[in-house]
Amino acid sequence: MTSSAINAPADAAPEPPPLSDRLRQTVLPRLVTGLILLLMWEIAVRLLAPPFVARPSSVVAIAPKVLTDPKFLAATGSTLLAVAEGLVISLILGTLTGLAIGRSRIAEKALLQHVNFFYAMPMIVILPLFSLWFGYSAATRIATIIFASIFAIVMNVADGARAVPGEYLEVARSFRAQRLRMLFEIVLPSSMPYLLAGVRLAGGRALIGAVVSEFFLSIGGLGYYILYNSRSYHHSEAFVGVLLLAAFGVGFEVLVGWCTRRFMPWYRRGAN
Amino acid sequence: MSAPSAPAAQPAHADSARIRVRSLGKRYGALEVFRNIEFDVGAREIVAIVGPSGCGKTTLLRCIDGLLPHDTGDIWVGDARVEEPIAGVAMVFQHFGLFPWKTVFDNVAYGLRMAGAARTEIERKVPEFIKMVGLAGFEKAFPYQMSGGMQQRCGLARALAVEPSVLLMDEPFAAVDAQTREILQFELLRIWQERPTAMIFVTHSIEEAVLLGHRVIVLKGRPSSIHEIVEIDLPGPRTRATLQLPRFAELRERVWGTLMREAREAEFQLERA
Repeated sequence: MTSSAINAPADAAPEPPPLSDRLRQTVLPRLVTGLILLLMWEIAVRLLAPPFVARPSSVVAIAPKVLTDPKFLAATGSTLLAVAEGLVISLILGTLTGLAIGRSRIAEKALLQHVNFFYAMPMIVILPLFSLWFGYSAATRIATIIFASIFAIVMNVADGARAVPGEYLEVARSFRAQRLRMLFEIVLPSSMPYLLAGVRLAGGRALIGAVVSEFFLSIGGLGYYILYNSRSYHHSEAFVGVLLLAAFGVGFEVLVGWCTRRFMPWYRRGAN
Repeated sequence: MSAPSAPAAQPAHADSARIRVRSLGKRYGALEVFRNIEFDVGAREIVAIVGPSGCGKTTLLRCIDGLLPHDTGDIWVGDARVEEPIAGVAMVFQHFGLFPWKTVFDNVAYGLRMAGAARTEIERKVPEFIKMVGLAGFEKAFPYQMSGGMQQRCGLARALAVEPSVLLMDEPFAAVDAQTREILQFELLRIWQERPTAMIFVTHSIEEAVLLGHRVIVLKGRPSSIHEIVEIDLPGPRTRATLQLPRFAELRERVWGTLMREAREAEFQLERA
């Protein structure tokens, strides 16, 4: 027994750990921490808080009802649609602007500082102004989503466009590629990993922009659903919305990661 | 094996010169790279350029491709004066220069697409050249899935696909291993026999220069200029057997001697400075 216990780690070292080991070493601690946190939450609410405060058991109990409620689904759809629209607009305009900044010195001088400035500006402070310009409407929500997400894409695409290996451009020039074709057929695909990193960042920011503008504007959507239910003591219902938003955030990251692997098999990072 | 009537032994540049380089000079700011470069390349001739590293061989080739501006002199390809890349000239790059997001097919098609070729033409020609370089079956592979030798075959097919009258080779086999390099050299000779073009082949390997070139240009000095042009009067077509000829060894030694003398002089110059 003693000798095998001593030999085991030495044998295991050069090979990757088997699945059961990985489960034990990474998944298990994570799971245990999560369960402890949930348990603490459950106990604390039961002991200290009034009955309408959400606790894990009440959230789980109400979840099926909320997730099949047409009003909730409509609110979710409205928010997701707005995020998708805003992201598409950000993606197109942001990519064009980023390419210009990355490949043209004049565009860089004219635009880069402003992009940095707006990227650093908290999106919430622009919301009162947007609501005056565009009204208490879905237009303001879209504007906020675009403002929240576009600069992340611009900055990443600009970085990518600057980092295009000179040999690609040289090959394109040698084969007499026109400038615009070089931009969209060489610079853009070469910048794709940067672009997707930007989109990843932009997705999270767009979601925040949507929810915050719904809070502020009281227009229909998942953010407003959460706000409304919190204020009317339906904390558990509100919490289902919160968890769903978190799931969308994670889901978007996973989707972008999957797209990277599926559509850019040539782009390989060291690990994972 | 072959009849002695092979044209390679004759001075091929004597007939129609495809490339004419006249008193060419290039400087990067205060640093003069080369000066007064003059030579011709015949329409069916391979000219190899050797020289110590840093002598400006690659810069010279980039000037001839029109990728870099030159400061003095002229470069003519046919009747066209080279100021920027022109049609009918294709380059094969040392680091392959394949686009990693494109498959072999799309990489090979790139030059044709840029030249505005019709889709039917692309679909007809690209497989032909992929086959010519021995990559049939790899049309859908991405560069990262292939060895260096296969990647350079793809780079060669891309250059050949535009059916250029001038091929510029920038140390194309420097980044592949020794065996692959040897295989590719003979593949290149075979392809050149099928479709002869004017070719400038830049290399730092004397053996490669003598094997491939009908003439070998030796660059020397700082700034560099043409030190010697060695006629390589080996019978063609050249094969592995060529490497065994006494004449091959003689010519190799001759170029080697010229280069080494220069290298030693350059070293002494540095020591004195």
